[in-house]
Amino acid sequence: MNADRAFNGTRVRLAMTPMIDVVFLLLVFFVCTVRFERNEAVYTLDLPQRGRTADPLALQERPLVIRLGARASGAVPIEVQADGLRERPASFDALASLLTRARRSEEPGADSGGLFVADHPVLVAPARDCGWQDAVDAFNAAVRAGFRNIGFERSGT
Amino acid sequence: MRRAPSQQSTIDADLTPLIDLAFLLIVFFVLVARMSGEQLPAIPLPEPTAIAATPAGATRRLAVNVLAEDGGAVLTLAGERFASDAAGLERLASAIARRLRNDPRVPVDIRADRSLTYRAVEPAIDAITSAATQCGTRVTIRVCALQADVGTP
Repeated sequence: MNADRAFNGTRVRLAMTPMIDVVFLLLVFFVCTVRFERNEAVYTLDLPQRGRTADPLALQERPLVIRLGARASGAVPIEVQADGLRERPASFDALASLLTRARRSEEPGADSGGLFVADHPVLVAPARDCGWQDAVDAFNAAVRAGFRNIGFERSGT
Repeated sequence: MRRAPSQQSTIDADLTPLIDLAFLLIVFFVLVARMSGEQLPAIPLPEPTAIAATPAGATRRLAVNVLAEDGGAVLTLAGERFASDAAGLERLASAIARRLRNDPRVPVDIRADRSLTYRAVEPAIDAITSAATQCGTRVTIRVCALQADVGTP
């Protein structure tokens, strides 16, 4: 490309080389720093507010507890404990199905036979040696089932 | 005194300031990239099947990272490292509380390596809860996971 132009006898010369140098430097920088990350997703915990009800006379609902053990021979021991419910689903998919059946339908007129409303507190209680992946899988199963008030049980509680 | 216009004058565009500016921009971008990398280091997050979480989006957030290192866990917050012992967790809670006082609405995210056990992640939850108590604010705590169903952009 000819960068020299003549205007009324005046020669204008643009030095393109440093400009191209800079453009290439920027290009290399962006190529080096760009990271292709998969999208992150988040679950909102109901943790610090648990146990602090505004009304001191309000009844404390007993949470639906999902107990998780440490993974042994490929499977995670899962136990669901609540009033009128005590089951041991074999997998996280089975756990999601069980919790879906346990949740009362919010559609007017529909009777799913579930015992718990969607806002009923659910506690995921992993053993201390339980994998974090398994703990999040159990949390995900409760979210899949439509529960909205889910937290992790703390060892001290 | 006016100079008489010459018949053949040459105008050279001085590109040196432009290049200076470009280099300044490069330095700026390098620093910003480094800072954002410290805030959100690459961690193998849990990947639940049939994920039901909501996308994190590009909103402002405070990320507490739990990294698996040397058979144990190290907690980081904005590039600062904290041990998992009592003193380290106290420092972490104070650091979170300081940031929450500046911006009480920012959600606090737990980004933990999926290979860790609950024993390693629980202190992070405790530190955030302790920070919320120190501030007296209602903090939103979130757990981060990877959307396995979403492909690489």
